[in-house]
Amino acid sequence: MWLADLIGGVVVLLFGLSVVIFSMQLPYMSEFGPGPGFLPLWLGIGIAGCAVAVILKILKKRDRVEAFIKPQTRVGLQMLGLIVCAFLLLPLLGFSVGLALFAATAMRLIGKHGMLACGLTAVGAAIGINVIFGLWLEIPIPTGIVGW
Amino acid sequence: MDILNNLIMGFSISLTPTNIMYCLAGAFIGQLVGVLPGIGAPTAVALLLPMTFTLNPTSAIIMFAGIYYGVAYGGTITSVLINIPGESSTVMTCLDGYQMALKGRAGAALSVAAIGSWLAGTFSVVLLMCFAPALANFALRFGPPEYFGLALMSFGLLTVFGGDEPVKSIVSTLIGLFLATIGLDVVSGVPRFAFGVPQLLGGVDFIVIICGIFGITEIFNSIENPDEGDLIKGKMRLKDLFLTRAEWIASRWAIVRGGVIGFFVGLIPAGGITTASFLAYLAEKRISKHPEKFGTGVIEGVASPEAANNAASISGFAPLLALGIPGSPTTAVMLAGFMMWGIRPGPLLFQNNADLVWGLISSKFIGNLILLLMNIFLIPFFVMILRVPYTILMGFIVIFASVGAFTVSNNLFDVWMMLGFGVLGYLMTKLKYPIVPLVLGLVLGRLAENSLRQSLMLSGGSVSIFFTRPITLLFMSAAILAYLTPLIQWAIKSLRPAEGKAA
Repeated sequence: MWLADLIGGVVVLLFGLSVVIFSMQLPYMSEFGPGPGFLPLWLGIGIAGCAVAVILKILKKRDRVEAFIKPQTRVGLQMLGLIVCAFLLLPLLGFSVGLALFAATAMRLIGKHGMLACGLTAVGAAIGINVIFGLWLEIPIPTGIVGW
Repeated sequence: MDILNNLIMGFSISLTPTNIMYCLAGAFIGQLVGVLPGIGAPTAVALLLPMTFTLNPTSAIIMFAGIYYGVAYGGTITSVLINIPGESSTVMTCLDGYQMALKGRAGAALSVAAIGSWLAGTFSVVLLMCFAPALANFALRFGPPEYFGLALMSFGLLTVFGGDEPVKSIVSTLIGLFLATIGLDVVSGVPRFAFGVPQLLGGVDFIVIICGIFGITEIFNSIENPDEGDLIKGKMRLKDLFLTRAEWIASRWAIVRGGVIGFFVGLIPAGGITTASFLAYLAEKRISKHPEKFGTGVIEGVASPEAANNAASISGFAPLLALGIPGSPTTAVMLAGFMMWGIRPGPLLFQNNADLVWGLISSKFIGNLILLLMNIFLIPFFVMILRVPYTILMGFIVIFASVGAFTVSNNLFDVWMMLGFGVLGYLMTKLKYPIVPLVLGLVLGRLAENSLRQSLMLSGGSVSIFFTRPITLLFMSAAILAYLTPLIQWAIKSLRPAEGKAA
């Protein structure tokens, strides 16, 4: 956790410095007062300054025993992978079918639920998405090769 | 007299069949969210927010308010029956509520929580009716410097209450403020941090961020830290819900005290309902004749924090409605909703949208009554809901978050960005960077930047404008004190061992 915390602090520092660099390309003052670069510049300085304080504190203390990667982190990564796959397939399958299949797959792979429960969830979710979002709320959700 | 007339007008709005339905829906969803693991009130409101684009704002805000105070009721059930707080605001209820359940008095614990919440909630609405308009009238004097001071004070208070690592809270706030600057600058029209991406020219919509940071983040956190408790076995009968005379006598003043503490803590920006319940429990323990029994199943230990969290969830609307400053994560998400509907909360809201304000306030009487009845007659149903595995809920959270992000501008770019913010929120939570200050920075970012720039234009660039106007001076002093508090605490801590050694 200590190393992760340190890396986190460094990332925040780099982010703050990037904000400073990009803000300097914007006008700091305008004809009427502070320009569009005024606040972002100070925000960047603030973020970088706080990041330095965080890093110094981390370097001073090495007593974090909690692990950054826990046994369940792998399951979280599986979930992330599933979401990414589902989003990649959305243009092809459409929202109702794509997200319903995702929900059922997540239930099966992560929750180890039975095939029947997963199948029913998929059908129910696909119909639900269409009825609630498409028909009732009139959101123009993208359709896929199935047609809805 | 004005208040009475306004209240009558409010009831004429909230008692329409449509609004009663939304109030009922909000209370029911809130209760469900409180019971279900891994979903909080901000998540529920964030996920439902995009679905209310086309709704009447009054109906939508009535529903969201119902969710907010409904969650406080629902979280009690898990606290009492499985010793796991459904919400952070019901953490204190676990201490005595679960012990009461082990002694066979789960029904009484749930009952006193419901009655206490209802009484304190109703009391809080009455005070809110008197207090919020007065606060709004006072805020009519505010100009840009006052608003900047107020925003700064809110960020500062959140830093103090925001957790163990105040510097990380500040980083989160600054990142939120930075995200609010992305897109075309409203004054000069110069694009900022868009990097040639056309979808970023209009800025990053807060709904995309909120859906990711509350919805998706919550999923990863719940997978990694599953909360599993053992449900108290045995059937709950209606007669088990009745309090004995001794229990009522013991809890009635605890409810009053909890209600008063909750109301005032809820008024403070960043005070929040969790702080209210915590303080109410401590106060009750301190004045009790038998403090040693707290934690072993005393009914006051349930009545007081439950009354406090409900009272705070209602008074928390005062700063939101009258000043446009959210006092908690859920009201921060609601502020995003107001922006989405094109309504600006603040002192003028009471004049320009009196129907919304008084419709909302009066709906709280109805919502609290609905929740009281729900908590007496539907407890077995909610106990059943407790058994729904989180692995089923996760899929539905992703569905709502994805559709919610998509509705912002009907493109998949926002859906991917929502996922990106979900991952960012997860990493921030893991590394102990609180996400609530980020949301507050995001929703108040535009207000803070515009008022800062306007103030500096007024003063010709001199920052003295923030220290020469009395109200601004008050806010700035509070903000500076809040930011210095961690430093003062650190200095005191560093001095103490030295004193010890010297002795």
